[in-house]
Amino acid sequence: MHPAGLAAAGTPRQPSKRRTPVSQPGMADPHQLFDDTSSAQSRGYGAQRAPSGLGYPAPSASPQAAFLADPVSNMAMAYGSSLAAQGKELVDKNIDRFVPVTKLKYYFAVDTMYVGKKLGLLFFPYLHQDWEVQYQQDTPVAPRFDINAPDLYIPAMAFITYVLVAGLALGTQDRFSPDLLGLQASSALAWLTLEVLAILLSLYLVTVNTDLTTIDLVAFLGYKYVGMIGGVLMGLLFGKIGYYLVLGWCCVSIFVFMIRTLRLKILAEAAAEGVPVRGARNQLRMYLTMAVAAAQPLLMYWLTFHLVR
Amino acid sequence: MAFTLYLLLQAALLCVNTITVLHEERFLKNIGWGADQGIGGFGEEPGIKSQLMNLIRSVRTVMRVPLIIINSIAIVLLLLFG
Repeated sequence: MHPAGLAAAGTPRQPSKRRTPVSQPGMADPHQLFDDTSSAQSRGYGAQRAPSGLGYPAPSASPQAAFLADPVSNMAMAYGSSLAAQGKELVDKNIDRFVPVTKLKYYFAVDTMYVGKKLGLLFFPYLHQDWEVQYQQDTPVAPRFDINAPDLYIPAMAFITYVLVAGLALGTQDRFSPDLLGLQASSALAWLTLEVLAILLSLYLVTVNTDLTTIDLVAFLGYKYVGMIGGVLMGLLFGKIGYYLVLGWCCVSIFVFMIRTLRLKILAEAAAEGVPVRGARNQLRMYLTMAVAAAQPLLMYWLTFHLVR
Repeated sequence: MAFTLYLLLQAALLCVNTITVLHEERFLKNIGWGADQGIGGFGEEPGIKSQLMNLIRSVRTVMRVPLIIINSIAIVLLLLFG
């Protein structure tokens, strides 16, 4: 009944095969789902396949050639490709308005040595002396040349690794299902967004004149995923004791890291001399820095404790 | 847990609605948070309270019309899809 249904439905479609879309997953055989449906070739190919059912090799040659030789479809293809080229130009010109692509490129200018040293700094920030970002004629130096510069490579990779490790942890406890991965990812992303918005709001309220951009903030807040991954992996290997130990270590490290980094950005004047200056304004800024740094361990625990049993 | 992005959007919409709904004359003036009551001269730092008052007034001015549209869309979507 299946081929008969295909044949019956296919024959009236044949004269109008040029305008028929190919997406008929219920009726066609499974091979058709993996064909490239964007080219004109497979459009004729796919429409031809439906009436012939399973006999795809031989009869597809002639309707294909006839389809391409038709001048109207030639013009349509040329027009379509020129439209696509125009659209691509438009997007390329305007993308910089919505997504700061050129600025983003700076954050991904990393190399292996930088990543290695930065990871070491995230786990052991106690011996590092100079936390200032070096400048080169008014623009900050690329992360490749300065270990103190924020980057987006480590946070992005750490986020993806966190989602995968969460899936692994859930799998070892027989609690895994594929949609849980998406749930973990969107949950972590939602917490990140909430954090960024809360910090931006508090920075606005405290009127801090800082050069801390939003992307910088996302980068700094993304560094905690590295500690979270370490904690969960240790928890998988050594149980709850290992998890708490490593997570505690990473929490303290991230706390110190954030304080030392944000102090230079938020408390710019006071931190330069290294003197704890009194005054309501600086005190408020200090509280803000401490609050941001203290939120990191809390979130690290909150996002991982349900993964380790 | 299940703190999804959709939940965040809903919460953000509700929060912005809350800020926009605070009435200038009937409420804010009575607790001393009116927009014209906060000018403390040209001091160097505005202070948190005046920043908050500025924020409330700006949100109200900017988001009045877009919120009408977004709220209508949200109402229709919630009626249709629950």
